Amino acid sequence: MNDLLITLLLILVKLGLIFGVVLGMAAYLVLAERKILGRMQLRYGPNRVGPGGMIQPMCDVIKLITKEDFIPDRADKWVFLFAPGLTALTALLSFAVVPFAPPLHLFGREIPMVVCDLNVGVLYIFGLSSLAVYGVVLGGWASNSKYSLIGAVRSMAQLISYELALGLALVPVIMTAKSFSLTEIVMSQADWPNLLRHPLAFIIFMIAVAAESKRTPFDMPEAENEIVGGFHTEYSGMRFGLFFVGEYISLIVIGAMTTVFFLGGWHGPFLPPVVWFVMKVLFVAFLFIWARGSMPRPRYDQLMHFGWKVLLPLGLVNVVITGAVLVALNG
Amino acid sequence: MISVYHYMSVAAILFALGTFGVLTRRNAIVVFMCIELMLNSVNLTFIALSSHLQNMDGQVFVLFVMTVAAAEAAVGLALMIAFYRNRESIDVDQINMLKW
Amino acid sequence: MASLLFYILGFIMLTATLLCITRRNPVHAVIYLVVGFFALALMFYLLGAPLVAAWEVIVYAGAIMVLFLFIIMMLGLAPQELPEGPNWHRWGPLVLLSSSLMACTLLLIFQDPAATEIIGTYYLAPQELGEALFGRYALAVEVVSFQLLFASIGAYMLGRSLPKEDDES
Repeated sequence: MNDLLITLLLILVKLGLIFGVVLGMAAYLVLAERKILGRMQLRYGPNRVGPGGMIQPMCDVIKLITKEDFIPDRADKWVFLFAPGLTALTALLSFAVVPFAPPLHLFGREIPMVVCDLNVGVLYIFGLSSLAVYGVVLGGWASNSKYSLIGAVRSMAQLISYELALGLALVPVIMTAKSFSLTEIVMSQADWPNLLRHPLAFIIFMIAVAAESKRTPFDMPEAENEIVGGFHTEYSGMRFGLFFVGEYISLIVIGAMTTVFFLGGWHGPFLPPVVWFVMKVLFVAFLFIWARGSMPRPRYDQLMHFGWKVLLPLGLVNVVITGAVLVALNG
Repeated sequence: MISVYHYMSVAAILFALGTFGVLTRRNAIVVFMCIELMLNSVNLTFIALSSHLQNMDGQVFVLFVMTVAAAEAAVGLALMIAFYRNRESIDVDQINMLKW
Repeated sequence: MASLLFYILGFIMLTATLLCITRRNPVHAVIYLVVGFFALALMFYLLGAPLVAAWEVIVYAGAIMVLFLFIIMMLGLAPQELPEGPNWHRWGPLVLLSSSLMACTLLLIFQDPAATEIIGTYYLAPQELGEALFGRYALAVEVVSFQLLFASIGAYMLGRSLPKEDDES
């Protein structure tokens, strides 16, 4: 009984820690993105509130909370209200299976540094990312505005198409780790990271994940100079804020997934594992901000053709080659 | 306590609800959704019996049922789009001519 | 604990599906059906089938229902009227089927009211299921994959835009 209580308490502590750290990181990632983009475009970015603009995220949150929460006339009210929460929730829940350090030995008991080490962890993340479609799509549909509907339909097609490529890119990783558990996958990269073992899978994964996150090279669902604001055109106040925060949380999720699947997780010399993990996540997030600052947006049909005619066949070929090499090495 | 029959009665109710939808609704997409529901009630009996008999065959069969459902959804929805192009409606009561 | 979870999940699932088949708006029906599938997936997890539970969420909730939603939004379907009342050629077979199914299962439950045949704590690890799929059932998996291929070709042929009639003449 006592043992169970301690385990439960530990899970709660880890949950609180992860929620706090992730939400804080998301808030400051917004600031970092604005600063870095500003520097790339030869401006300063936010620098008025606090030293170097460090208090800017708090001000943004206060502004969003105090704004009017506007519901359009003839909108589907309940769907309109819960859709933004769904986006943020699915992004946050993904962290339950991400291991951020090796198991800790404290007071004679092993404490795994992950909230729940599911043996179907990879599939859990897939399931959540496919549920994340609903937040965007239902939000766009419920607004009862044509731009929102176009954004919703676009994001739906884009997310379904690139999810396939994403799944196929991860198959070689699962084949070498021989497990769906994220901890096992990190353990399998103790010698060298999967980035060197499966370079093609890494490239496919990065492109697919960028499309999944709806960030700038692939931001057709919210392309502001074509369809106003896409699926969140009609949202205001903190509900828009939830969409916004959900996007940045999913950026951190993507960073964590890339780190776990391809960059060797917490493995690294000299520094403590947690520091390595956070550094890798931030580096991947920086890559995505960099891409936003330097890439133009493709046309919508080009995007779909690329997904179905280039990424999907490449992913299949990669799976076959990896399988053949693995069989040749073992047999 | 829960026996395997409890699970099977839930599956039976689900199946009956699915049949209810198929027989009473006129929107072809909702009819399709109800067929998916019926397939899922069969999945539930497969899994419950697999757990009851300590045998994995039931879970393997669920995979086959799921692929059938996916293939059916793809072809069925394509048919529905083709039908909508011709008739501007997907009311199942209007699918009553061989040629138009 | 497990029995409490069973009742909660069963209640959620049956309520959600009942709401699904009675909604006028097809988008609401899709939302309720997704909730139902989610409860069903949790029930699979409870029954010791984690891999099948994950498939349920990914394939049904994540792919098939999104496809339905896509078609509903693309065609811009308006809510439709529900049928007015019972008519025998629709409801007759339904009443027959559901009453016989309920009679059978209730008979089974009441034969063993104390539930001595408690459902076992069976747990199938994903590895074992995978090995069975690609070992003993390899041929069946191949057949099913061909079915998927044919379905995708068929969907493409049905869904492609037809040439305009004045082009042919």
